[in-house]
Amino acid sequence: MARSLRRIPGIAWLLASLVIFFSVFGTRFASAPNLINIGNQSSILLLLALPMTLIVMTEGLDLSMGAVLGLSGVVLAMLLVNGNALPVAFAAALGVGTLFGIANGVLVVALGMPPFVATLGMLGVAQGIALVLTDGQSVAGIGSALPGIYASRWLGIPFAILIAAAAYAAFHFLLYHTRIGTYVFAIGGNREALILAGVPADRYHVLIYAIGGLMAGAGAFLLTGRMSVGHPTAAIGMEFDAMVAVIVGGTKLARGDGWLPGSVLGVMTVGVLKNGLNVMAVPSSLQIASIGLLVIVALLIDSFRGKS
Amino acid sequence: MSSLTYRLLGVLLLGAVLALSTDAFLTVGNLLNVLRQASLIFLLASGLTLVILSAGLDLSIGANLGLSACMAAAAIKSTGSISIGIAAGLACGMTIGIANGLLITTLRLPPFIATYGMLWMVYGINYWAMAGNTIYGFPESFREIGSGYLLGIPIPVLLMAACLIVGSVFTRYTTWGHEIYAIGANPEVARLSGIPVRSRLIMVYTLSGVMSGLAGIVYLARLNSAEAGIGEPLLLPAIAAVLIGGTSLFGGVGSLSGALVGAVILTLVLNGMNLLTISGNWQPLITGVILLLAAGIDTAARNWNESRA
Amino acid sequence: MNIFIQNVRSTTAVVLMIFTASCAKPVDEGAGQTGGESIAVFTKNQTNPFFETVRLGAKNAAKQMNATVIQYIPTVQDSITEQLSEIEDAIIKRPGAVVFIPVNSRAMIPGIEKLNAANIPVVNITDRVLGGSVISFMGCDETNMALNTGRFLLQRLNGRGNVIILEGVGGSENSSNRVTGYRKALAEFPNVKLLASQPANFQRVQALQVTENLLQSYPQIDGILAANDSMALGAIEALDAARRNAFVVGLNGTKEAIDAIKAGKLLASGDCDGFRHGCLGTMAAVRHLRNLPVPKEFIFSVMVIDNTNYAGLDVPYEERMCPSWESVVKDK
Repeated sequence: MARSLRRIPGIAWLLASLVIFFSVFGTRFASAPNLINIGNQSSILLLLALPMTLIVMTEGLDLSMGAVLGLSGVVLAMLLVNGNALPVAFAAALGVGTLFGIANGVLVVALGMPPFVATLGMLGVAQGIALVLTDGQSVAGIGSALPGIYASRWLGIPFAILIAAAAYAAFHFLLYHTRIGTYVFAIGGNREALILAGVPADRYHVLIYAIGGLMAGAGAFLLTGRMSVGHPTAAIGMEFDAMVAVIVGGTKLARGDGWLPGSVLGVMTVGVLKNGLNVMAVPSSLQIASIGLLVIVALLIDSFRGKS
Repeated sequence: MSSLTYRLLGVLLLGAVLALSTDAFLTVGNLLNVLRQASLIFLLASGLTLVILSAGLDLSIGANLGLSACMAAAAIKSTGSISIGIAAGLACGMTIGIANGLLITTLRLPPFIATYGMLWMVYGINYWAMAGNTIYGFPESFREIGSGYLLGIPIPVLLMAACLIVGSVFTRYTTWGHEIYAIGANPEVARLSGIPVRSRLIMVYTLSGVMSGLAGIVYLARLNSAEAGIGEPLLLPAIAAVLIGGTSLFGGVGSLSGALVGAVILTLVLNGMNLLTISGNWQPLITGVILLLAAGIDTAARNWNESRA
Repeated sequence: MNIFIQNVRSTTAVVLMIFTASCAKPVDEGAGQTGGESIAVFTKNQTNPFFETVRLGAKNAAKQMNATVIQYIPTVQDSITEQLSEIEDAIIKRPGAVVFIPVNSRAMIPGIEKLNAANIPVVNITDRVLGGSVISFMGCDETNMALNTGRFLLQRLNGRGNVIILEGVGGSENSSNRVTGYRKALAEFPNVKLLASQPANFQRVQALQVTENLLQSYPQIDGILAANDSMALGAIEALDAARRNAFVVGLNGTKEAIDAIKAGKLLASGDCDGFRHGCLGTMAAVRHLRNLPVPKEFIFSVMVIDNTNYAGLDVPYEERMCPSWESVVKDK
């Protein structure tokens, strides 16, 4: 028993403690509507955290995800306003996201630019284009189809949560059951071995960033449905949240060491914390401090258990 | 050509483009402005450079600047003494830095997480303490630090120069400096060769904290006011300045002069956009493109150098 | 020895948890009577002093009316996603009513609709939400506020001269509304030249740097129209440092701005009086719950605070009292 308890990662303990704490001290935290809210609120972040896990595993990071999500959302909204069908607009959003992802990948892999600077630059480019296209305004009038889909429930489960679950399943399969997944581990851990084995490591490395962009486009679909408008700056900063969720979930910033389920736990922990603090009506400055505390405690737990 | 030369060429190129596009650029007044604006970012970037050289990261510098400025402001207001205010600001910065250092060395947290957590905690404390208020209105003599001149040069620029000289000497000619590079290049080897890694790391983060505190004081003197959250827009530019300047996030490579060049490039871009009255919507796009160009040239130069080495 | 340490640890943990829990009780403002209505107040961020005055007004009004207020502020300023989440989280707590300032007038419509579906009445203050059903909108027209303030400065220039505009954050409605107002004012004075309109992100230090830069380009700047007080004050620092003069106006009417007006540095600041927004919005919410009449719409008059009329506002907010409902809302 002790041995298997030991195997449970720190983040799971933290998540459990938070859930218990808020259930006890927060009225109606543990109610079905609230838990569903948490799931909903965390879905978009999970869509970003999944590819971010892969990117962080390859010792990179992607600061442009939030801006790219915003731009994709703007493109999606503008096409809808212009009367295009939803599938077309959606495809365009995915396309825009993927394009930026490929750009990131090319800069980082082919040119060898440090990911921080490359994606920071692309953040500016994506943000800039979104602002120019919209003149800084929201894009309204997208009709009720997309918001309707976002608000829909299937067997009682909200659409966003289903998408997030599906995305997780896809990534899990990709990472742990396909060759590409092994390549991802290798690119972060032992790139030379991969190249010696004749695998075009660079191509897969770019693919990782491209997937990041693709998921930003997918996130735009959900976010635009949630807001019923497209907005250029709505997702700014989300990439930092995603990175923190990934690292707090156990993926290290080095050496191909990644744990996808951890990223889910990380996203849920952040979601539970923010929701719980609201349900307990904790003053905002204390909320801000708590987020910092959470991040540190999450890693301290692992550190004390000798995992670092 | 050394990479620093490439970067300086980049600065000159940018300067030349601006000089040709507008008359207002190449004036003493404007150039001094640019340097003074860059100094705030450089003060932050200098401590950050040391941290990044050691293969670490300090995301809390913006929050640190804000809290230190507020502490200094509160101290000056309540005691009436400028020196106590300055001491309070620096002490605040140093404390946050030491805390970072301890989190990273003793508690073994990854720097990204430790300083990110610290960022949020410091902002939380700052917002709570300030309760939405601003502290403003400081004595002329104090404000000289931010807006005064000495021998025709703005004082923040002199501070920047002093920081550059002291810092460069530190990194290049002292044992401590060499040790920091060594730790960044390979912490295990450094440890095995007898370098007290832990205390050097604490030192680096403490220095970063002190520099953030100093930047907070300069900010306070220049803006004549302090409120929570003032450091927020300065974090990414500071990191960008360090990285454009050629310091690698993996540690062991880089310099303070590079950070200075990076800070100047970023400031030149903003200066240029204002002088050319480029519409607000276009500014992030242009900043992003120039950032990519700067980093691209730098990367290409490094690859070129490596392939010829 | 081990057990001792374990006991100490677990006791400490429990004590800490209880301590935290008791510290984290709902922010009980306006405490006193049990059974008081619970009002959830949504503001945009922690950084803009305007919203702090709204929150103080709400707190004040609640105390007067024996109700309680819970403040919801996004931890990331102006975050649309966070405010949407906050609405969902608030619904779980079932407040009696909501006083709402939207981060974005369109993107928050789904949030209002959720509140409507949960049968929680909404009083919309300050910035109008462009959808959903609210029992009342109480606010002032931001564009109008900027228009009047801009006009004030341009009249002071006697309709001739050079001006610059300092914009806020790209993508922010506050910014675009205010800049629109300033531009409308400029349209009324054809002999005034707009040299430049540059963003400074509502931040003091950026406004200082932008103004510094513009002072270099333009040897003659007569007026600066800043989209908020922080930027106006930053611009003033730049002018002082460069030993240049210009009329500067800001928006928000913060305490610091009033002090600057008193000192003759700032010409004027347009104000919608956030404190009153908070007061009256909260009063309206409570009144609605007590079945008292509440107007469907109430537009606060804009005030351009200058050195002739700042007196009543020059009071620390902690000492201000909410005006009585009747004195402000006259029957129409």
